[in-house]
Amino acid sequence: MHWFQTQLTELSRLADEYAISQRQSSSNIINVSEKMRLKRAEFINAVQTLVDKVGKIKGISACAAYHDGLILAQSAQLAAIDAFGATVQESARAAQQGAALLGLGELEQIVVVGAKNKVAMLSIGPLMLCISSPKEINLASALNRKT
Amino acid sequence: MSSNIHPLDTRKSQSGEIDAILRNLMSIQGVTAAAIVDSDGLVTHIQRESEVNTDAIGASVQVVFGAAARAAQHVGHHSTNMVICENTEGFILSTPVEAGFMLALITQRDALLGRVRFELKETIPVLKKLFSHYLNH
Repeated sequence: MHWFQTQLTELSRLADEYAISQRQSSSNIINVSEKMRLKRAEFINAVQTLVDKVGKIKGISACAAYHDGLILAQSAQLAAIDAFGATVQESARAAQQGAALLGLGELEQIVVVGAKNKVAMLSIGPLMLCISSPKEINLASALNRKT
Repeated sequence: MSSNIHPLDTRKSQSGEIDAILRNLMSIQGVTAAAIVDSDGLVTHIQRESEVNTDAIGASVQVVFGAAARAAQHVGHHSTNMVICENTEGFILSTPVEAGFMLALITQRDALLGRVRFELKETIPVLKKLFSHYLNH
């Protein structure tokens, strides 16, 4: 399995573990609260680490993670961070409707290619991971070159 | 013979967990204060980076949230789940917890709004449970 795929699998595992900790029913609310907090921190820290690593890969312009269209983690200060978030949210909504109509299953990724640049949006648990690069970059090979 | 086993003071532990939750919120980039405010606008729990006027935080959070909630009612939006005040130097986010208690976060301008909002939204359900236990014991 390639580097980036391994990272995504690990993030999905952490997202699932957090989701499980949320569904825990226990009479000891303090333990449940603490476990949820730790699992959430583990997941979010892993997201931030991946965003930082991806942002440093040659050929990648920026990497950011969003929740409900609002910035949650970023590799560097982006010029139009809010516009980027709004685009992510709108694209995800349209893609989810399309996916439902066509019976594609749960949304995994969206790629928007412009004349100059492109953006890949990947769904990870409750978040969207966004990676932007110049149009001519082969994202799959750029992301998998990282070791 | 006296036992060295003492019953757990649940009220104290729940209060400790509330403080731990506030400390966790304070660890987010750009967050400068996290507070629990009661229905009278008094701060019951607080974690802060530097000296802040707790009375002013408590009162303003309740006033702003009350005004936003009334505005939401006027336009048929029913209950208000969160109020975000965007200011020149930062944000104030407030969310109802239980029985008139509110969770308020004060951040600097460079805080990642999505991160702060995500943590707030994820924290509220467990805070609600902690408060209902806290208030009933």
